[in-house]
Amino acid sequence: MSANGTITQTLREAAAQVLSEEKVGVVIGYGRDDGQEFSTPVFLRKAEEVKRLVFDDLCFGNLAVYLPRPEIRKMGKTGIVVKGCDLRAVNVLLRENVIKREDVLLIGVRCGGVGQPQLPKCSVCELHDPGGCDVVVGEAIEQQEVKAEQRYTEAGKIEAKPAEHRWEFWQKQLSKCIRCYACRQVCPLCYCKRCIIEKSTPQWVQTSPHLRGNLAWNVTRALHLTGRCVGCGECERVCPMDIPLGAINQKMAKVVDERFGFRSGFSAQEEAPFTTFSTEDSEEGIL
Amino acid sequence: MGEQKLYQASANWLKSAVDALCAAGIEVLAPTQSESGKVDLARVTSSEQVIQSYPNTAFPLKRLFLPMSEVLLEYEKGEEGDVELGPKSAPAKELVILGCRPCDAAALEMLDKVFQWDYSDVPYQEKRDRTTVVSLACSEPSPECFCTSVGGSPQGSEQSDVLVFGGANSAALMQINTAKGEKFIERLADTVTPAPEGTKLPEPTELEQKFDPQKVKGWLDENFESNFWVENSLGCLGCGTCSYLCPTCHCFDIVDEASWNRGQRRRNWDCCSFALFTLHASGHNPRPDQAARYRQRLMHKFKVFPERFGRVACVGCGRCLKNCAVGQNLLADLADIESR
Ligand code: SF4
Ligand code: SF4
Ligand code: SF4
Ligand code: SF4
Ligand code: SF4
Repeated sequence: MSANGTITQTLREAAAQVLSEEKVGVVIGYGRDDGQEFSTPVFLRKAEEVKRLVFDDLCFGNLAVYLPRPEIRKMGKTGIVVKGCDLRAVNVLLRENVIKREDVLLIGVRCGGVGQPQLPKCSVCELHDPGGCDVVVGEAIEQQEVKAEQRYTEAGKIEAKPAEHRWEFWQKQLSKCIRCYACRQVCPLCYCKRCIIEKSTPQWVQTSPHLRGNLAWNVTRALHLTGRCVGCGECERVCPMDIPLGAINQKMAKVVDERFGFRSGFSAQEEAPFTTFSTEDSEEGIL
Repeated sequence: MGEQKLYQASANWLKSAVDALCAAGIEVLAPTQSESGKVDLARVTSSEQVIQSYPNTAFPLKRLFLPMSEVLLEYEKGEEGDVELGPKSAPAKELVILGCRPCDAAALEMLDKVFQWDYSDVPYQEKRDRTTVVSLACSEPSPECFCTSVGGSPQGSEQSDVLVFGGANSAALMQINTAKGEKFIERLADTVTPAPEGTKLPEPTELEQKFDPQKVKGWLDENFESNFWVENSLGCLGCGTCSYLCPTCHCFDIVDEASWNRGQRRRNWDCCSFALFTLHASGHNPRPDQAARYRQRLMHKFKVFPERFGRVACVGCGRCLKNCAVGQNLLADLADIESR
């Protein structure tokens, strides 16, 4: 039985209302394309179009990636369908002043989990019920308690290997990278107008897809997302080479959690370690 | 079809071919399955690594001839100021590709046209010349396949030195198309026998034509400026997945990578979906948004390429629509264009 079976109708009604009352210029949500194995993004401008909206177990995408885009901003205030995990990305965009709260209308869905079988992130989800949205749809979902050790299991599996095996593992994984940058393009928090990878005077990171260049690229991305990544899992989902990027992000999240007691994206007001100076910080290295 | 040279072999032909070629010291690429379940052509040394049943490989053949990253030139400056140049080319070794699909073989035709256009590209041609392509006709096209809409067929023999029908569960029938194909048959020795006189090729697999490229081109000719480009690219993220997995996309970038006294000039894949692709040093970008870049992708494949080379630069493999992160559906877009 689908965890998200009954949301579609109420979601359509909510979207139709904000569109017909002209509260927003566009609603970004999910739709169905019969040729696809997941629900794909749709951009609705008129209340009549809301029949294209769905919410089901295949709504993987984190639509927050579209919020900073000029083509979308041109349409006026943006209505956006967010699951709890997507809301965390919106919170980071707000925290980092990429978007303003008054420019977005958040349509939160109470999400029971996506994927068949359910994605691992959903079994440890702490935001089935997204807080602070303008509209919320779906039945209340009982929030299970999630223990700290459940959060970083993917990273844990790799940490358990001896150092030389880890090095071997990552060399093998990263040499597969084809530098398509789908991981960056799908990431709501990789919003830089010009990524460091694209800066050529000087060329900071080699663009060739050899192990040296790929290591530099993937380590750079991991560092730039440390303390920011919200673990939505989109980068790993879209990587055409099946590189376990989620494990890298989890490892970094774990370090930040342990050192600073900080987990990204639970509020738009949070003080993030990278952008907050504190004399209380331990000085164990660059992290 | 006119006079055909046909041979027959057992259902197990793929494995016997791998073993025969490996024993003869020939490099073999054959379908294998990775831990994550991906099927791809990989160098094999024994038939145990090979799988026989699969819809298509994750990657097309392109990277074998136009590698993702290829060293064109390298240099090293010695103590005395002398400079040594490379790479030293190794003698070209024979390579046999076993088990690609007809669409991917047909795509080599488009690459050939580009890389032999006004100049014969040496690194490309060297690899083409040493390679024999043995394709596997499709009996069960995948839902995303549309070769019949772009001039191909599940049984197309274009650019295949040998086209194999059946196999896996039934006896195999091999259609020999070139001299390289004949040599391949010789190497298989007694595992193949000439097909009896009058043997017919299997009935063609049906695959409905989903759009007409002529009609699509007609619309493209008139609609460089159209809201279609904006509306249909809103979801596109501007990554390289669709181009990098496409058998016919062939754009590249040239980079120099140097350290203190040595360096390399490399040719790396590049892609028109990237914002950087057309960014000028001045800061001006003639393709300033994703709509312009998406238009470029479609225009190049379905208008510019046919004007220049007489056919569309798409073989209908469906990889772009299957692998896109946001489900951008080329087929749906072409059908939409046709209906306008
Ligand atoms: S992590 Fe939570 S909100 Fe996100 S898809 Fe899973 S259950 Fe839904
Ligand atoms: S790095 Fe990956 S998991 Fe983290 S926010 Fe970006 S897309 Fe999501
Ligand atoms: S999506 Fe995967 S293959 Fe593409 S650049 Fe990112 S890590 Fe590399
Ligand atoms: S169509 Fe899809 S795969 Fe191609 S650039 Fe856009 S998002 Fe990437
Ligand atoms: S455009 Fe898409 S369907 Fe056509 S050849 Fe390229 S990847 Fe295959």
